Amino acid sequence: MSVRVAQSSSTSFDLVKFLKICGFVLLIIILVVFILLPIYWMIKSSFQTNFEIRANPPIWFPRSFNIQAYRDVSVLLPIWRYMGNSLYVSLATAIIASFVATAAAYVLARFRFPGAIFILSTILFTQLIPPITRVFPIYFLIEDLGLLNTRTGLILAYVGFSIPYAVLLLRGYFKGSIPPAIEEAALIDGCTWFQVFGHVVLPMSLPGIVAVSVFTFLGAWNDFLWASLLVNRGQLKTIQVGLADFTGELGGISHINAFMAACVMAAVPALILFFLIQRWMVDGLSTGAVKS
Amino acid sequence: MVGPAFIMSLFLGIYPVLDTFRISLLQYDLLRVVNEGTPFVGLQNYREAFQNPQFIQALINTIVFTIIAVTVVTSLGLVVSQLLNAEYRGRGVVRMIAMIPWFVPPVVASMIWLWMFQTDRSPINHVLRELNLINTNIKFLTDTRTFAFMSIPMFSVSAVRVWGGLPFVSLFLLAGLQSLPKDIYEAAKIDGAGQLQRFFLITLPLLRPVLSILLVLLTLGGLGHFDINYVMTKGGPQGLTNILSILSYQQAFVFFRFDLASAISTLIIVLTAPLAAYYIVNQVKDQA
Repeated sequence: MSVRVAQSSSTSFDLVKFLKICGFVLLIIILVVFILLPIYWMIKSSFQTNFEIRANPPIWFPRSFNIQAYRDVSVLLPIWRYMGNSLYVSLATAIIASFVATAAAYVLARFRFPGAIFILSTILFTQLIPPITRVFPIYFLIEDLGLLNTRTGLILAYVGFSIPYAVLLLRGYFKGSIPPAIEEAALIDGCTWFQVFGHVVLPMSLPGIVAVSVFTFLGAWNDFLWASLLVNRGQLKTIQVGLADFTGELGGISHINAFMAACVMAAVPALILFFLIQRWMVDGLSTGAVKS
Repeated sequence: MVGPAFIMSLFLGIYPVLDTFRISLLQYDLLRVVNEGTPFVGLQNYREAFQNPQFIQALINTIVFTIIAVTVVTSLGLVVSQLLNAEYRGRGVVRMIAMIPWFVPPVVASMIWLWMFQTDRSPINHVLRELNLINTNIKFLTDTRTFAFMSIPMFSVSAVRVWGGLPFVSLFLLAGLQSLPKDIYEAAKIDGAGQLQRFFLITLPLLRPVLSILLVLLTLGGLGHFDINYVMTKGGPQGLTNILSILSYQQAFVFFRFDLASAISTLIIVLTAPLAAYYIVNQVKDQA
C-alpha cells in the first residue's frame, strides 16, 4: 500500500518513504529466501557428486552439473515402481472421491431435508479430528475386509478421508457459483433432476470439481501415515513410504545426493499440479474459501 | 446420492473414533490376546498412561509444539498476507512462490530439512558462522539441552511445520484481508492513522472471526500432528520431540499395545473435540 503512495507522490527525496520501501523489499527477500532455500538445497544437492556433497563447509553452487545421483537412485531403490504405485492410488482416489463427493455435495447444497445438518456435522467432525485417533479401528477394519496390503484398501481409506473436505468445498461451490434459477428453468423445460445435474450443473461446476480432484490427488500422493500402515509389502509401497524407509535403511548421509534426487522425483508431480492450478488458487480459492 | 459419502464418513470417521474409545477400555495387548483375550479393564490404560513419564513428556511436548507452531505460523502469516496483499510490481510472482511449500509432500519437506539440519554441513550454520553470529555449530536435531520444556530439536521440527503451513495460513488470511471493507482504511488514513495503527486498530479487530477459525484449525492440526516429527526424529533425541500421536503409533505398531495406544488417542480426541465442536457450530450456523 505504502509503496504505491511513495511512487506516485514523491517528487523530492523522502527518507522515511525510502526506508519504508527498503524495509518492505527486505521482508519480501527474507520471505522468498525462507521458502525457496530448502527447494534450492534439494535440487542443488541432487546434482552434486558424492564427494562434493560431503564438503564441509557446504558448497552452495555445484561445480558441475552431475546427473549420476538420478541414475543411482533407481539402482538403490525401485523408485519407478513406488512412483507408479503412488500415481495409481492417487489417480483412483481422485476419480472416485470426486464422483462420490460431487453427488453428495449437490444434494446437500440444493435440498433441505431432515438430518441434513446432522450429516453435515458428521462430515465436518470426520474432517477435523486428527487421523491418529482413527488409526487402529481402521487398520482392523481394512484387515477384516482382507484389504491389508492391497492398493484397493488404501484407495478405500483415501476416498473416505478426502470426502469430507471435498463435499464441503463443492457444496460451497454449488451454493455460490451456480444459480438455482438455471436449474429451475431446465426443470420447467421438462428435464429430470438427473438430466439437469448431468447437462447443466456438471459442466458449470467443472472448475470446482477439477480443483477438488487436484486436492484429493495431492492428499493421497502426499500421505505417509496411512500408506505406511495399510501397505507394508515392498512391491506396493508408495513413494512417500519408500522415501522414508530409504532414510532408515541407509541412514546418515552416505547417499544423500541420490536421496535428494528421489525427493525431487517425489515432489515433481505435486509441483506440476501446482503450476497448473496456482493462478486459480490465489484468485479463486482465496475469495471463496473464507466466505463458505 | 448423499448416501455413499455419508456411509463412508460414518465408517471411516465416526465409527473409528468410538471404537478407539472402546479399545482403550479393554486389555488389548496383541502379544497376550491369544491367551487372555481382550477383557474389559475400565480406566486401567489411562492410569498406566498417566504414570508413564514418557506419556507426560509427550503430552507436554504436544502442547508446547502446538503453541510454538501455531503462534509462529500465525504471526508470520499475518506479515506475509500483508506482503501478498500490497500492490507492487511482481506481486504475482511473490504470491506464486509463497504457495510452493503447500505442494511439497511433508515427507520430502522433512527430508530436505533433515539434510539442511545436519550439524556440520548445514547451510544455516555456514551462514551464521560466516556472519560471526555463532562460534560453534547449532546441533539442530541432536542438542539435548532443555529450557522450560523447550529444546533446539523442538524448535527445528516446529520450523519445518511452519514452513509447510505458511502458504495455507497466508492464503487464508489474505482472503480475510480481501473481504475487509476498503473505506474504513481510507477514513483512517484521512484521520492520520499510521500503518501500524491501521494494522493493530483496524485490521486485527476486523480479522478476528477469520483468525479465530484459523487458530482452531491450526490447533487441531498441531495436536494431531504426526509426519514431520515421525520422519525427522521419531520423537528423539531423548523424547524431546516426542508427541502424543507418535507415542500412540509406536505403542501400537512397535509394542503391540493397542489398548494403551487407544487410550493416548482418546486423550487426543478429548483435547480436540471441544475445538472441533466450536468450529462445527460456527460453520453449521452460517450455512443452515
